[in-house]
Amino acid sequence: MRLRISHTTTYRYEPAATGVIQVLRLTPGSHDGQYVADWQIDVSADTKLDMHHDAFGNVTHVLTIGATEDLTITAEGLIETNDTGGVMRGTDERFPPQLFLRSTDLTEPSPAMATFTREIGGAEGDAISFLHALMTRLNDHMTFDSDPTHSGTTAAEAFTLRRGVCQDYAHVFIACARAGGIPARFVSGHFLRADGEVHQQAGHAWAEAYVPSLGWVGFDPANAICSTDAHARVAIGLDYLGAAPVRGTRYGGGLETLTVAVKVDQAGRQFQSQ
Amino acid sequence: MLSRTAENLFWLARYVERAEYLARTIDATLRVTALPNTYSGQGNEWDSALLTAGVAGSFYNHYDEANEANVVEYLSFAPTNPSSIRNCIEAARLNARSVRTALTGEMWATINSAWIELQENWSKGAKTREQLTAFLRFVQETSLRFDGSAYRTMLRNDAYWFSRLGVHLERADNTARILDVKYHLLLPEQEHVGGPLDYYQWSSILRSVSALTAYHWVYRQTLKPWLIADLLILNDSLPRSLASCYGNLVRNLDQIGVAYGRQGPAQRHARGIRNRLEHSDMEDIFQRGVHEFIQEFLADNSRLGEIVAKQYLI
Repeated sequence: MRLRISHTTTYRYEPAATGVIQVLRLTPGSHDGQYVADWQIDVSADTKLDMHHDAFGNVTHVLTIGATEDLTITAEGLIETNDTGGVMRGTDERFPPQLFLRSTDLTEPSPAMATFTREIGGAEGDAISFLHALMTRLNDHMTFDSDPTHSGTTAAEAFTLRRGVCQDYAHVFIACARAGGIPARFVSGHFLRADGEVHQQAGHAWAEAYVPSLGWVGFDPANAICSTDAHARVAIGLDYLGAAPVRGTRYGGGLETLTVAVKVDQAGRQFQSQ
Repeated sequence: MLSRTAENLFWLARYVERAEYLARTIDATLRVTALPNTYSGQGNEWDSALLTAGVAGSFYNHYDEANEANVVEYLSFAPTNPSSIRNCIEAARLNARSVRTALTGEMWATINSAWIELQENWSKGAKTREQLTAFLRFVQETSLRFDGSAYRTMLRNDAYWFSRLGVHLERADNTARILDVKYHLLLPEQEHVGGPLDYYQWSSILRSVSALTAYHWVYRQTLKPWLIADLLILNDSLPRSLASCYGNLVRNLDQIGVAYGRQGPAQRHARGIRNRLEHSDMEDIFQRGVHEFIQEFLADNSRLGEIVAKQYLI
Protein backbone atom coordinates (compact mmCIF):
# COMPACT_ATOMS: atom_id res chain seq x y z
CA MET A 1 0.00 0.00 0.00
CA ARG A 2 1.28 3.47 -0.72
CA LEU A 3 0.73 5.80 2.22
CA ARG A 4 0.92 9.55 2.01
CA ILE A 5 1.77 10.82 5.48
CA SER A 6 2.10 14.27 6.91
CA HIS A 7 2.87 14.96 10.55
CA THR A 8 2.83 18.56 11.76
CA THR A 9 3.91 19.64 15.23
CA THR A 10 3.33 23.26 16.25
CA TYR A 11 4.73 24.89 19.37
CA ARG A 12 3.56 28.30 20.55
CA TYR A 13 5.52 30.05 23.29
CA GLU A 14 4.01 32.87 25.36
CA PRO A 15 6.07 34.92 25.95
CA ALA A 16 8.67 34.03 23.33
CA ALA A 17 11.30 31.43 24.21
CA THR A 18 14.92 32.58 23.94
CA GLY A 19 16.19 29.27 22.61
CA VAL A 20 14.83 25.86 21.66
CA ILE A 21 16.57 22.52 21.14
CA GLN A 22 14.66 19.55 19.78
CA VAL A 23 15.55 16.00 18.85
CA LEU A 24 13.32 14.72 16.04
CA ARG A 25 12.62 11.07 15.42
CA LEU A 26 10.38 11.76 12.44
CA THR A 27 12.21 9.96 9.67
CA PRO A 28 11.21 6.37 8.87
CA GLY A 29 13.74 3.76 7.74
CA SER A 30 13.28 0.98 5.22
CA HIS A 31 12.86 -2.70 5.95
CA ASP A 32 11.52 -5.63 3.92
CA GLY A 33 7.91 -4.59 4.50
CA GLN A 34 8.43 -0.88 4.01
CA TYR A 35 10.09 1.32 1.42
CA VAL A 36 10.39 5.07 1.89
CA ALA A 37 9.81 6.52 -1.58
CA ASP A 38 10.05 10.15 -0.52
CA TRP A 39 10.51 11.94 2.79
CA GLN A 40 11.30 15.45 3.96
CA ILE A 41 11.24 17.59 7.07
CA ASP A 42 10.34 21.28 6.99
CA VAL A 43 10.98 23.62 9.89
CA SER A 44 9.39 27.07 10.06
CA ALA A 45 12.55 28.74 11.41
CA ASP A 46 15.98 29.01 9.78
CA THR A 47 17.99 26.18 11.21
CA LYS A 48 20.40 23.45 10.39
CA LEU A 49 19.08 19.91 10.78
CA ASP A 50 21.93 17.67 11.93
CA MET A 51 21.25 14.07 11.02
CA HIS A 52 22.42 11.22 13.24
CA HIS A 53 21.49 7.66 14.06
CA ASP A 54 20.69 6.92 17.67
CA ALA A 55 21.76 3.73 19.47
CA PHE A 56 18.72 1.80 18.21
CA GLY A 57 19.36 2.81 14.60
CA ASN A 58 16.58 5.43 14.43
CA VAL A 59 17.27 8.42 12.19
CA THR A 60 17.36 11.54 14.37
CA HIS A 61 17.63 15.21 13.51
CA VAL A 62 18.74 17.79 16.03
CA LEU A 63 17.55 21.35 15.58
CA THR A 64 18.62 24.40 17.52
CA ILE A 65 16.99 27.81 17.06
CA GLY A 66 17.18 31.15 18.81
CA ALA A 67 14.43 33.39 20.13
CA THR A 68 11.05 32.40 18.76
CA GLU A 69 7.33 32.69 19.40
CA ASP A 70 6.27 29.69 17.43
CA LEU A 71 7.81 26.74 15.75
CA THR A 72 6.26 24.37 13.22
CA ILE A 73 7.88 21.10 12.24
CA THR A 74 6.37 19.18 9.34
CA ALA A 75 7.50 15.73 8.31
CA GLU A 76 5.87 14.36 5.20
CA GLY A 77 6.34 11.84 2.47
CA LEU A 78 5.36 8.64 0.77
CA ILE A 79 5.86 5.17 2.18
CA GLU A 80 5.24 1.96 0.27
CA THR A 81 4.26 -0.90 2.59
CA ASN A 82 3.74 -4.66 2.20
CA ASP A 83 1.80 -6.87 4.56
CA THR A 84 4.32 -9.26 6.13
CA GLY A 85 1.88 -10.63 8.72
CA GLY A 86 3.64 -8.55 11.36
CA VAL A 87 7.00 -10.30 10.90
CA MET A 88 9.81 -7.76 10.66
CA ARG A 89 12.72 -8.60 8.33
CA GLY A 90 15.53 -6.41 7.12
CA THR A 91 15.37 -3.99 10.04
CA ASP A 92 18.49 -2.34 11.39
CA GLU A 93 19.28 -4.51 14.44
CA ARG A 94 22.13 -3.24 16.56
CA PHE A 95 21.57 -5.18 19.78
CA PRO A 96 20.78 -8.73 20.81
CA PRO A 97 17.03 -9.09 21.52
CA GLN A 98 17.70 -9.68 25.25
CA LEU A 99 18.45 -5.97 25.60
CA PHE A 100 14.73 -5.34 25.18
CA LEU A 101 13.95 -7.24 28.40
CA ARG A 102 15.21 -4.16 30.23
CA SER A 103 12.43 -2.42 32.13
CA THR A 104 11.96 1.36 32.25
CA ASP A 105 9.99 3.71 34.53
CA LEU A 106 7.14 3.85 32.04
CA THR A 107 7.01 0.07 31.58
CA GLU A 108 7.50 -1.17 35.16
CA PRO A 109 4.89 -3.91 35.74
CA SER A 110 2.64 -3.64 38.82
CA PRO A 111 1.73 -6.75 40.87
CA ALA A 112 -1.73 -6.71 39.22
CA MET A 113 -0.07 -6.84 35.79
CA ALA A 114 2.18 -9.69 36.89
CA THR A 115 -0.91 -11.66 37.94
CA PHE A 116 -2.64 -10.76 34.65
CA THR A 117 0.40 -12.12 32.78
CA ARG A 118 0.59 -15.30 34.86
CA GLU A 119 -3.08 -16.03 34.22
CA ILE A 120 -2.46 -16.09 30.47
CA GLY A 121 0.40 -18.53 31.03
CA GLY A 122 2.49 -20.40 28.49
CA ALA A 123 5.08 -17.70 27.82
CA GLU A 124 7.91 -20.24 28.35
CA GLY A 125 6.61 -22.68 25.75
CA ASP A 126 4.71 -21.08 22.93
CA ALA A 127 5.69 -17.43 22.70
CA ILE A 128 3.50 -16.56 19.73
CA SER A 129 0.26 -17.90 21.24
CA PHE A 130 1.08 -16.17 24.51
CA LEU A 131 1.57 -12.85 22.73
CA HIS A 132 -1.65 -13.19 20.77
CA ALA A 133 -3.56 -14.08 23.94
CA LEU A 134 -1.96 -11.13 25.71
CA MET A 135 -2.94 -8.76 22.91
CA THR A 136 -6.58 -9.96 22.86
CA ARG A 137 -7.01 -9.91 26.65
CA LEU A 138 -5.37 -6.54 26.95
CA ASN A 139 -7.63 -5.14 24.27
CA ASP A 140 -10.64 -6.43 26.26
CA HIS A 141 -9.26 -5.15 29.54
CA MET A 142 -8.78 -1.58 28.37
CA THR A 143 -11.01 1.00 26.71
CA PHE A 144 -9.68 3.58 24.27
CA ASP A 145 -10.01 7.02 25.86
CA SER A 146 -7.74 9.99 25.26
CA ASP A 147 -8.88 11.98 28.32
CA PRO A 148 -7.43 10.41 31.48
CA THR A 149 -3.86 9.73 30.33
CA HIS A 150 -1.00 11.89 29.05
CA SER A 151 2.46 11.27 27.59
CA GLY A 152 3.97 10.56 31.03
CA THR A 153 1.39 7.99 32.18
CA THR A 154 3.04 4.73 33.18
CA ALA A 155 1.91 1.27 32.14
CA ALA A 156 0.83 0.48 35.73
CA GLU A 157 -1.34 3.63 35.96
CA ALA A 158 -3.03 2.95 32.63
CA PHE A 159 -3.60 -0.68 33.60
CA THR A 160 -5.36 0.39 36.83
CA LEU A 161 -7.40 3.06 35.00
CA ARG A 162 -8.31 0.48 32.34
CA ARG A 163 -8.26 3.42 29.95
CA GLY A 164 -5.74 4.99 27.65
CA VAL A 165 -4.51 5.71 24.13
CA CYS A 166 -2.43 3.55 21.79
CA GLN A 167 0.73 4.53 23.64
CA ASP A 168 -0.67 3.21 26.95
CA TYR A 169 -1.82 -0.02 25.32
CA ALA A 170 1.69 -0.46 23.93
CA HIS A 171 3.33 0.22 27.30
CA VAL A 172 1.13 -2.30 29.12
CA PHE A 173 1.72 -4.87 26.39
CA ILE A 174 5.50 -4.37 26.58
CA ALA A 175 5.53 -4.55 30.39
CA CYS A 176 3.51 -7.80 30.41
CA ALA A 177 5.55 -9.41 27.62
CA ARG A 178 8.79 -8.61 29.45
CA ALA A 179 7.26 -9.94 32.67
CA GLY A 180 6.67 -13.17 30.75
CA GLY A 181 10.34 -13.22 29.72
CA ILE A 182 9.82 -12.08 26.12
CA PRO A 183 11.86 -9.14 24.76
CA ALA A 184 9.54 -6.34 23.66
CA ARG A 185 9.95 -2.79 22.40
CA PHE A 186 7.96 0.34 21.66
CA VAL A 187 7.27 1.43 18.07
CA SER A 188 6.13 4.86 17.02
CA GLY A 189 4.72 5.38 13.57
CA HIS A 190 1.57 5.95 11.58
CA PHE A 191 -1.56 3.95 10.93
CA LEU A 192 -4.03 4.16 8.06
CA ARG A 193 -7.40 3.87 9.73
CA ALA A 194 -9.81 1.32 8.36
CA ASP A 195 -12.80 3.67 8.79
CA GLY A 196 -11.44 6.08 6.20
CA GLU A 197 -10.75 8.93 8.65
CA VAL A 198 -7.67 10.66 7.25
CA HIS A 199 -7.07 13.34 9.87
CA GLN A 200 -5.72 12.14 13.20
CA GLN A 201 -4.83 13.85 16.45
CA ALA A 202 -1.49 12.11 16.90
CA GLY A 203 0.76 9.48 15.45
CA HIS A 204 0.21 5.84 16.26
CA ALA A 205 2.13 3.55 18.62
CA TRP A 206 2.39 -0.20 18.93
CA ALA A 207 4.84 -2.83 20.12
CA GLU A 208 7.19 -5.43 18.74
CA ALA A 209 7.98 -8.66 20.57
CA TYR A 210 10.75 -11.12 19.86
CA VAL A 211 9.71 -14.65 18.95
CA PRO A 212 12.76 -16.93 18.54
CA SER A 213 11.36 -18.78 15.50
CA LEU A 214 10.22 -15.64 13.65
CA GLY A 215 12.31 -12.71 14.85
CA TRP A 216 10.62 -9.43 15.75
CA VAL A 217 6.84 -9.40 15.31
CA GLY A 218 4.66 -6.28 15.43
CA PHE A 219 1.63 -6.31 17.76
CA ASP A 220 -0.85 -3.45 17.80
CA PRO A 221 -2.83 -4.01 21.03
CA ALA A 222 -5.00 -0.89 20.54
CA ASN A 223 -6.40 -2.46 17.35
CA ALA A 224 -5.86 -6.08 18.46
CA ILE A 225 -4.02 -6.96 15.24
CA CYS A 226 -0.46 -7.74 14.22
CA SER A 227 1.11 -4.90 12.25
CA THR A 228 -0.02 -4.85 8.63
CA ASP A 229 0.57 -2.75 5.53
CA ALA A 230 -1.54 -0.04 7.18
CA HIS A 231 1.30 0.51 9.68
CA ALA A 232 4.22 2.75 8.77
CA ARG A 233 7.07 2.24 11.22
CA VAL A 234 9.14 5.31 12.15
CA ALA A 235 11.17 4.69 15.33
CA ILE A 236 11.73 2.12 18.05
CA GLY A 237 12.79 2.37 21.69
CA LEU A 238 12.52 0.75 25.10
CA ASP A 239 9.45 2.92 25.73
CA TYR A 240 7.74 6.08 24.44
CA LEU A 241 10.61 8.33 25.55
CA GLY A 242 13.10 6.42 23.42
CA ALA A 243 10.94 6.63 20.29
CA ALA A 244 9.14 9.95 20.81
CA PRO A 245 8.69 11.91 17.55
CA VAL A 246 9.81 15.21 19.10
CA ARG A 247 11.72 15.67 22.37
CA GLY A 248 13.49 18.76 23.52
CA THR A 249 13.79 21.69 25.82
CA ARG A 250 13.73 25.48 25.71
CA TYR A 251 15.27 28.47 27.45
CA GLY A 252 12.98 31.23 28.66
CA GLY A 253 9.39 31.61 27.56
CA GLY A 254 6.41 30.85 29.74
CA LEU A 255 3.39 28.94 28.63
CA GLU A 256 3.98 26.39 25.90
CA THR A 257 1.13 25.07 23.74
CA LEU A 258 1.63 22.08 21.55
CA THR A 259 -0.63 20.98 18.70
CA VAL A 260 -0.13 17.94 16.56
CA ALA A 261 -1.89 17.24 13.28
CA VAL A 262 -1.39 13.99 11.44
CA LYS A 263 -2.74 13.01 8.05
CA VAL A 264 -2.46 9.45 6.77
CA ASP A 265 -3.98 8.70 3.41
CA GLN A 266 -3.63 6.15 0.67
CA ALA A 267 -1.88 7.52 -2.40
CA GLY A 268 -2.94 6.09 -5.78
CA ARG A 269 -4.01 2.49 -5.46
CA GLN A 270 -1.62 -0.13 -6.72
CA PHE A 271 -2.02 -3.84 -7.22
CA GLN A 272 0.51 -6.26 -5.83
CA SER A 273 1.19 -9.19 -8.08
CA GLN A 274 2.70 -12.21 -6.41
CA MET B 1 4.82 -0.19 -23.74
CA LEU B 2 5.44 -3.55 -25.38
CA SER B 3 7.67 -5.78 -23.33
CA ARG B 4 9.80 -6.25 -26.44
CA THR B 5 10.45 -2.49 -26.52
CA ALA B 6 11.29 -2.48 -22.83
CA GLU B 7 13.67 -5.36 -23.38
CA ASN B 8 15.48 -3.59 -26.23
CA LEU B 9 15.87 -0.43 -24.17
CA PHE B 10 17.13 -2.40 -21.18
CA TRP B 11 19.73 -4.32 -23.17
CA LEU B 12 20.79 -1.33 -25.24
CA ALA B 13 21.81 0.48 -22.05
CA ARG B 14 23.37 -2.65 -20.58
CA TYR B 15 25.57 -3.27 -23.61
CA VAL B 16 26.82 0.31 -23.73
CA GLU B 17 27.64 0.18 -20.01
CA ARG B 18 29.42 -3.13 -20.45
CA ALA B 19 31.50 -1.85 -23.37
CA GLU B 20 32.66 1.07 -21.26
CA TYR B 21 33.49 -1.18 -18.35
CA LEU B 22 35.58 -3.47 -20.55
CA ALA B 23 37.46 -0.46 -21.90
CA ARG B 24 38.16 0.69 -18.33
CA THR B 25 39.35 -2.76 -17.32
CA ILE B 26 41.80 -2.92 -20.21
CA ASP B 27 42.97 0.60 -19.46
CA ALA B 28 43.58 -0.13 -15.77
CA THR B 29 45.36 -3.40 -16.59
CA LEU B 30 47.64 -1.67 -19.09
CA ARG B 31 48.67 0.75 -16.35
CA VAL B 32 49.53 -1.96 -13.85
CA THR B 33 51.43 -4.06 -16.36
CA ALA B 34 53.44 -1.03 -17.43
CA LEU B 35 55.10 -1.11 -14.01
CA PRO B 36 58.16 -3.25 -13.26
CA ASN B 37 57.29 -6.75 -11.99
CA THR B 38 58.24 -5.91 -8.42
CA TYR B 39 55.38 -3.43 -8.36
CA SER B 40 52.79 -5.28 -10.31
CA GLY B 41 53.18 -8.49 -8.29
CA GLN B 42 53.38 -12.18 -9.07
CA GLY B 43 49.90 -12.80 -10.44
CA ASN B 44 49.11 -12.41 -14.13
CA GLU B 45 47.13 -9.17 -14.45
CA TRP B 46 45.69 -10.22 -17.79
CA ASP B 47 44.23 -13.31 -16.18
CA SER B 48 42.47 -11.21 -13.60
CA ALA B 49 41.19 -8.88 -16.35
CA LEU B 50 39.56 -11.94 -17.95
CA LEU B 51 38.10 -12.92 -14.60
CA THR B 52 36.56 -9.50 -13.94
CA ALA B 53 35.08 -9.57 -17.45
CA GLY B 54 33.65 -13.02 -16.65
CA VAL B 55 35.07 -14.63 -19.79
CA ALA B 56 38.06 -16.55 -18.37
CA GLY B 57 36.49 -19.91 -19.27
CA SER B 58 35.72 -19.21 -22.92
CA PHE B 59 39.05 -17.41 -23.48
CA TYR B 60 41.08 -20.60 -23.13
CA ASN B 61 38.95 -22.31 -25.77
CA HIS B 62 40.49 -19.93 -28.28
CA TYR B 63 43.91 -19.00 -26.90
CA ASP B 64 46.69 -20.77 -24.99
CA GLU B 65 48.21 -17.89 -23.11
CA ALA B 66 46.72 -14.87 -21.32
CA ASN B 67 49.12 -12.18 -22.51
CA GLU B 68 48.48 -8.59 -23.50
CA ALA B 69 47.96 -9.19 -27.21
CA ASN B 70 45.58 -12.12 -26.73
CA VAL B 71 43.50 -10.63 -23.93
CA VAL B 72 43.16 -7.22 -25.57
CA GLU B 73 42.15 -8.91 -28.81
CA TYR B 74 39.64 -11.16 -27.06
CA LEU B 75 38.07 -8.47 -24.86
CA SER B 76 38.00 -5.78 -27.55
CA PHE B 77 37.57 -7.25 -31.00
CA ALA B 78 37.12 -11.01 -31.06
CA PRO B 79 33.94 -12.03 -32.91
CA THR B 80 34.09 -15.30 -30.94
CA ASN B 81 33.61 -13.50 -27.61
CA PRO B 82 29.90 -12.65 -27.26
CA SER B 83 30.68 -9.81 -24.88
CA SER B 84 33.71 -8.28 -26.58
CA ILE B 85 33.54 -4.51 -26.93
CA ARG B 86 32.88 -4.84 -30.65
CA ASN B 87 30.02 -7.27 -30.06
CA CYS B 88 28.60 -5.08 -27.28
CA ILE B 89 28.46 -2.08 -29.60
CA GLU B 90 26.93 -4.16 -32.38
CA ALA B 91 24.34 -5.63 -30.04
CA ALA B 92 23.60 -2.17 -28.63
CA ARG B 93 23.06 -0.81 -32.13
CA LEU B 94 20.81 -3.72 -33.10
CA ASN B 95 18.69 -3.11 -30.00
CA ALA B 96 18.65 0.62 -30.70
CA ARG B 97 17.51 0.10 -34.27
CA SER B 98 14.53 -2.00 -33.19
CA VAL B 99 13.35 0.76 -30.85
CA ARG B 100 14.49 3.66 -32.98
CA THR B 101 11.25 5.58 -32.29
CA ALA B 102 11.54 5.21 -28.52
CA LEU B 103 14.97 6.89 -28.59
CA THR B 104 15.79 10.53 -29.08
CA GLY B 105 17.72 11.59 -32.19
CA GLU B 106 20.84 12.27 -30.13
CA MET B 107 20.90 8.81 -28.62
CA TRP B 108 20.43 7.12 -31.95
CA ALA B 109 23.09 9.28 -33.60
CA THR B 110 25.58 8.40 -30.87
CA ILE B 111 25.12 4.68 -31.08
CA ASN B 112 24.85 4.59 -34.86
CA SER B 113 27.93 6.69 -35.49
CA ALA B 114 29.87 4.60 -32.96
CA TRP B 115 28.91 1.54 -34.93
CA ILE B 116 29.92 3.14 -38.23
CA GLU B 117 33.25 4.22 -36.77
CA LEU B 118 33.78 0.68 -35.53
CA GLN B 119 33.34 -0.61 -39.11
CA GLU B 120 35.46 2.06 -40.71
CA ASN B 121 38.37 2.49 -38.33
CA TRP B 122 38.57 -0.54 -36.12
CA SER B 123 37.65 -3.50 -38.28
CA LYS B 124 41.27 -4.70 -38.17
CA GLY B 125 41.68 -4.19 -34.44
CA ALA B 126 44.34 -2.04 -32.80
CA LYS B 127 47.86 -2.77 -33.93
CA THR B 128 49.83 -0.44 -31.71
CA ARG B 129 49.61 0.89 -28.19
CA GLU B 130 48.66 4.32 -29.57
CA GLN B 131 45.85 2.82 -31.59
CA LEU B 132 44.65 0.83 -28.60
CA THR B 133 44.60 3.92 -26.40
CA ALA B 134 42.65 5.77 -29.07
CA PHE B 135 40.20 2.87 -29.32
CA LEU B 136 39.63 2.71 -25.57
CA ARG B 137 39.05 6.45 -25.50
CA PHE B 138 36.57 6.14 -28.37
CA VAL B 139 34.62 3.47 -26.43
CA GLN B 140 34.52 5.47 -23.22
CA GLU B 141 33.47 8.60 -25.06
CA THR B 142 30.69 6.73 -26.84
CA SER B 143 29.35 5.62 -23.50
CA LEU B 144 29.61 9.11 -22.01
CA ARG B 145 27.81 10.63 -25.01
CA PHE B 146 25.14 7.99 -24.94
CA ASP B 147 24.53 8.35 -21.20
CA GLY B 148 24.65 12.13 -21.45
CA SER B 149 22.21 12.32 -24.33
CA ALA B 150 19.82 9.96 -22.56
CA TYR B 151 20.04 12.11 -19.44
CA ARG B 152 19.60 15.36 -21.34
CA THR B 153 17.06 14.49 -23.97
CA MET B 154 14.86 11.59 -22.91
CA LEU B 155 11.35 12.08 -21.66
CA ARG B 156 11.08 10.80 -18.08
CA ASN B 157 8.75 7.90 -18.70
CA ASP B 158 8.97 4.11 -18.71
CA ALA B 159 11.36 4.15 -21.69
CA TYR B 160 13.87 6.15 -19.65
CA TRP B 161 13.38 4.07 -16.51
CA PHE B 162 13.90 0.75 -18.31
CA SER B 163 17.10 2.00 -19.86
CA ARG B 164 18.31 3.18 -16.42
CA LEU B 165 17.55 -0.25 -15.00
CA GLY B 166 19.89 -1.73 -17.59
CA VAL B 167 22.65 0.75 -16.74
CA HIS B 168 22.51 0.22 -13.00
CA LEU B 169 22.12 -3.56 -13.04
CA GLU B 170 25.15 -3.84 -15.30
CA ARG B 171 27.13 -1.31 -13.29
CA ALA B 172 26.44 -3.05 -9.97
CA ASP B 173 27.46 -6.33 -11.55
CA ASN B 174 30.73 -4.84 -12.83
CA THR B 175 31.72 -3.20 -9.55
CA ALA B 176 30.95 -6.38 -7.65
CA ARG B 177 33.04 -8.40 -10.12
CA ILE B 178 36.07 -6.17 -9.64
CA LEU B 179 35.69 -6.57 -5.89
CA ASP B 180 35.28 -10.30 -6.28
CA VAL B 181 38.46 -10.76 -8.29
CA LYS B 182 40.51 -8.33 -6.23
CA TYR B 183 39.03 -8.91 -2.78
CA HIS B 184 42.12 -10.76 -1.55
CA LEU B 185 44.01 -7.47 -1.89
CA LEU B 186 41.48 -5.74 0.35
CA LEU B 187 41.54 -8.19 3.26
CA PRO B 188 42.64 -6.65 6.56
CA GLU B 189 45.55 -9.11 6.96
CA GLN B 190 47.23 -7.31 4.08
CA GLU B 191 47.32 -4.17 6.17
CA HIS B 192 50.90 -4.57 7.38
CA VAL B 193 52.22 -4.91 3.84
CA GLY B 194 51.22 -1.51 2.54
CA GLY B 195 54.20 -1.40 0.18
CA PRO B 196 54.32 0.03 -3.31
CA LEU B 197 52.88 -3.21 -4.68
CA ASP B 198 49.67 -2.71 -2.76
CA TYR B 199 49.52 0.96 -3.54
CA TYR B 200 49.54 0.31 -7.28
CA GLN B 201 47.13 -2.59 -7.02
CA TRP B 202 44.70 -0.60 -4.92
CA SER B 203 44.88 2.48 -7.06
CA SER B 204 44.22 0.30 -10.09
CA ILE B 205 41.01 -0.98 -8.48
CA LEU B 206 39.91 2.59 -7.93
CA ARG B 207 40.97 3.66 -11.41
CA SER B 208 38.94 0.90 -13.01
CA VAL B 209 35.80 2.53 -11.60
CA SER B 210 37.25 6.06 -11.93
CA ALA B 211 37.06 6.62 -8.18
CA LEU B 212 40.67 7.49 -7.32
CA THR B 213 40.00 11.20 -6.96
CA ALA B 214 36.70 10.49 -5.21
CA TYR B 215 38.57 8.35 -2.68
CA HIS B 216 40.83 11.23 -1.71
CA TRP B 217 37.89 13.59 -1.45
CA VAL B 218 35.96 11.26 0.82
CA TYR B 219 38.66 9.90 3.12
CA ARG B 220 41.50 12.43 2.83
CA GLN B 221 44.18 9.87 3.54
CA THR B 222 46.42 7.27 1.92
CA LEU B 223 44.83 4.24 0.29
CA LYS B 224 43.56 1.78 2.89
CA PRO B 225 41.95 -1.44 1.69
CA TRP B 226 38.92 -1.40 3.99
CA LEU B 227 38.15 2.17 3.02
CA ILE B 228 38.31 1.23 -0.66
CA ALA B 229 35.83 -1.57 0.03
CA ASP B 230 33.68 0.85 2.03
CA LEU B 231 33.69 3.34 -0.86
CA LEU B 232 32.84 0.79 -3.55
CA ILE B 233 30.23 -1.09 -1.53
CA LEU B 234 28.50 1.24 0.87
CA ASN B 235 29.11 4.85 -0.14
CA ASP B 236 25.88 6.23 -1.52
CA SER B 237 27.50 9.23 -3.16
CA LEU B 238 29.88 7.27 -5.40
CA PRO B 239 27.96 6.60 -8.64
CA ARG B 240 29.53 3.18 -9.16
CA SER B 241 29.15 1.87 -5.62
CA LEU B 242 26.77 -1.01 -5.01
CA ALA B 243 24.71 1.15 -2.64
CA SER B 244 24.31 3.92 -5.21
CA CYS B 245 23.39 1.49 -8.01
CA TYR B 246 20.73 -0.02 -5.78
CA GLY B 247 19.45 3.37 -4.69
CA ASN B 248 18.84 4.08 -8.38
CA LEU B 249 17.43 0.65 -9.20
CA VAL B 250 14.93 0.89 -6.36
CA ARG B 251 13.90 4.40 -7.43
CA ASN B 252 13.50 3.48 -11.10
CA LEU B 253 11.53 0.35 -10.27
CA ASP B 254 9.32 2.39 -7.96
CA GLN B 255 8.67 4.91 -10.76
CA ILE B 256 7.76 2.08 -13.12
CA GLY B 257 5.48 0.61 -10.42
CA VAL B 258 3.73 3.94 -9.88
CA ALA B 259 3.33 4.61 -13.60
CA TYR B 260 1.83 1.17 -14.23
CA GLY B 261 -0.19 1.17 -11.01
CA ARG B 262 1.11 -2.27 -10.26
CA GLN B 263 4.19 -3.70 -8.67
CA GLY B 264 5.58 -7.09 -7.87
CA PRO B 265 8.60 -9.25 -7.07
CA ALA B 266 11.13 -7.02 -8.88
CA GLN B 267 10.34 -4.07 -6.60
CA ARG B 268 10.39 -6.21 -3.47
CA HIS B 269 13.58 -8.02 -4.38
CA ALA B 270 15.45 -4.80 -5.21
CA ARG B 271 14.27 -3.15 -1.99
CA GLY B 272 15.43 -6.18 -0.01
CA ILE B 273 18.95 -5.86 -1.44
CA ARG B 274 18.93 -2.12 -0.89
CA ASN B 275 17.90 -2.61 2.75
CA ARG B 276 20.70 -5.05 3.38
CA LEU B 277 23.24 -2.61 1.94
CA GLU B 278 21.77 0.25 3.94
CA HIS B 279 21.90 -1.67 7.22
CA SER B 280 25.40 -3.09 6.75
CA ASP B 281 28.67 -1.66 7.90
CA MET B 282 32.13 -2.59 6.72
CA GLU B 283 33.08 -4.27 10.00
CA ASP B 284 30.18 -6.73 9.67
CA ILE B 285 31.04 -7.41 6.06
CA PHE B 286 34.69 -8.14 6.83
CA GLN B 287 33.65 -10.32 9.73
CA ARG B 288 31.25 -12.38 7.64
CA GLY B 289 33.76 -12.47 4.79
CA VAL B 290 34.06 -10.07 1.86
CA HIS B 291 34.17 -12.96 -0.57
CA GLU B 292 30.91 -14.45 0.75
CA PHE B 293 29.27 -11.03 0.77
CA ILE B 294 30.21 -10.33 -2.85
CA GLN B 295 29.22 -13.80 -4.00
CA GLU B 296 25.85 -13.38 -2.36
CA PHE B 297 25.47 -9.93 -3.91
CA LEU B 298 26.33 -11.18 -7.41
CA ALA B 299 23.76 -13.95 -7.06
CA ASP B 300 21.13 -11.50 -5.78
CA ASN B 301 21.92 -9.05 -8.56
CA SER B 302 21.61 -11.58 -11.35
CA ARG B 303 18.44 -12.87 -9.71
CA LEU B 304 17.05 -9.32 -9.95
CA GLY B 305 17.93 -9.36 -13.65
CA GLU B 306 15.88 -12.55 -14.07
CA ILE B 307 12.96 -11.21 -12.05
CA VAL B 308 12.88 -7.94 -14.02
CA ALA B 309 12.99 -9.95 -17.24
CA LYS B 310 10.12 -12.17 -16.10
CA GLN B 311 8.01 -9.31 -14.81
CA TYR B 312 8.52 -6.80 -17.63
CA LEU B 313 10.66 -7.96 -20.52
CA ILE B 314 9.10 -11.21 -21.72
